[in-house]
Amino acid sequence: MNRALSWRALIVWAMLALLPALPFMSKFYLLLAFDALLFGAIAMSLDLLMGYTGLVSFGHAAFFGLGAYASAVLLERGVLSLWACLAFAILVVGLYALVVSFFSTARRGIYVALLTLIFAEVVYTFFRYTQTFGGSDGIQGVPSPRLIGEFALDTPLRNYYLVLVYLGLAYLACRVLVTSHFGRVLVAIRENEDRARFLGYNVQRYKMAVCMISALLTGVGGALYPGRSAFATPDLMLWTVSGEFIIMVMIGGLGTLAGPVVGGAFFVLLQEKVSSYVDWYFIVIGLVLIFIVLFMPKGLLGIRELLGPRRWRTTA
Amino acid sequence: MDYVVAVLLPQLLHGLVFGAALGLLALGLTVIFGLLGVMNFAHGELYMLGAYAGIAVMGLTHSFWLALLVAPVAVGAIGAVTEVTTLRPLYRREPLYGLILTFGLALVFREGARQIWGGDMRRILPPFTGSTPLLGMTYPNYRLFLLAASSVLLLAIWLFFTRTRAGILVRAAVQDAEMLDGLGVNVPRVFTLTFAGSAALAALAGLLLAPVFTVYPQMGVEMILLAFIVVILGGMGSMGGSVIAAFVIGLAQSLLTLWMNPQRVAIAIFAIMIVVLIVRPRGFFGREGVLE
Repeated sequence: MNRALSWRALIVWAMLALLPALPFMSKFYLLLAFDALLFGAIAMSLDLLMGYTGLVSFGHAAFFGLGAYASAVLLERGVLSLWACLAFAILVVGLYALVVSFFSTARRGIYVALLTLIFAEVVYTFFRYTQTFGGSDGIQGVPSPRLIGEFALDTPLRNYYLVLVYLGLAYLACRVLVTSHFGRVLVAIRENEDRARFLGYNVQRYKMAVCMISALLTGVGGALYPGRSAFATPDLMLWTVSGEFIIMVMIGGLGTLAGPVVGGAFFVLLQEKVSSYVDWYFIVIGLVLIFIVLFMPKGLLGIRELLGPRRWRTTA
Repeated sequence: MDYVVAVLLPQLLHGLVFGAALGLLALGLTVIFGLLGVMNFAHGELYMLGAYAGIAVMGLTHSFWLALLVAPVAVGAIGAVTEVTTLRPLYRREPLYGLILTFGLALVFREGARQIWGGDMRRILPPFTGSTPLLGMTYPNYRLFLLAASSVLLLAIWLFFTRTRAGILVRAAVQDAEMLDGLGVNVPRVFTLTFAGSAALAALAGLLLAPVFTVYPQMGVEMILLAFIVVILGGMGSMGGSVIAAFVIGLAQSLLTLWMNPQRVAIAIFAIMIVVLIVRPRGFFGREGVLE
């Protein structure tokens, strides 16, 4: 626990908590910061799979979108408690993730990527064409959730602190996980799955467990989204969104936890900045991804190694 | 009987036509997967570029046939350049990086096409119209041509892989690239040329299908998912399996539309794939230990 919660992470977190006090933080920037931290946290939970276990999920958008829908459906029907939304999202995403992880972790490598992708497409197609959930328009204009009693999370500032708490707890959970015995087994599976099996570990059970944890963290993140945007649309679950999550992890650096948070934030800010100047920002993002895969496979956090021989745990 | 002739038979032919074209797309995908271990996410964009390159050539020359010749060559060249500059440096790394890289390529190609040709839907007129009486119904000539052309191409590819030295080299590289390298074959060149060939095939499929479907920058995104399903169903890296699976999916898609609305069909196709994978985890012709 001590090692899990390093002082460095705490300082960064505290600085993020002071961010809204800056004079130029308008509502617009607060919402941008919300997105940056939310997608950073989601990229971090994807990193549990990609960086630590060596499984690429091309279906995380479905976990995210299902969480968002679960929350939006309740809010639309007048259930305004944030906790009810979160619980419902965990239930829905958990059931779906159970099925997906059971089938996809039975296979290796490319099959995992493709199976998660196909399952996510099923969910996308379902919501895209089911009129109960608004079809392609999704669920629009839902009210803000209530934290306790009548305390509504209806301002960008309150939402920002909510996502900050989520990020902090998710980081703590992931950090504890990867430094534990469980995390070591995951790395062993990534390095040599057969050897891990010969050592007596039930590899599939470990893979399923980490897939579930990653999916639930992503689903909780999704459940927070309608509170900020007041909608949930099928486009949140497009497989290209899953691809964007992967890009965030790659930008930040595989297997570092903190890296993908930076990567997610960087991605959101880059998209915002570039798209305000030109409308071809996807070319920029594509080129950034290609550049990183070719020349910086360790991502942004890999730069640290160039700066000096500082001790830093990259991969557990 | 009327039902068979008026409804079932045309739909069956539609399925064959679509399956043959899908086969062209999936073949390139499965060969690249066998060679590089990379599932090419940009394959759908090469398919899309083929259609747009065809439109560009037709705008200059007004000839569909010339476009059918030039577009695959142009897209093949793009494929070759892409392979040399981006995929070649990744040979020695894990295939995962290649997969992610092709996703980046897909983004660039898709947005590039939108910038050059705009985002709106376009149609290509078929080079000839009219229809032929066939088994008591009439069927559009262009679709018959499409079926014939795709089938001839599939046959030619099969002959290429079984009867020519170049084709055998590619299959040898799928089996064991290191050994082939040891025997003195320039393996990177085999990889590059195969990638170019697979890009050209995708482009050809894109242009051939363009008069039947519509052309827009996102058109590859939908096709690539079907092509992925085909490759998985056929068994990773199995070329024959891919072609058979392409026909299965083509027929299933067109026959199911008779009884279901399109979104149900999409889900039914996914369901077919999931069931097949549970019963036969390696698809129709995937062998244990191959590419795993």
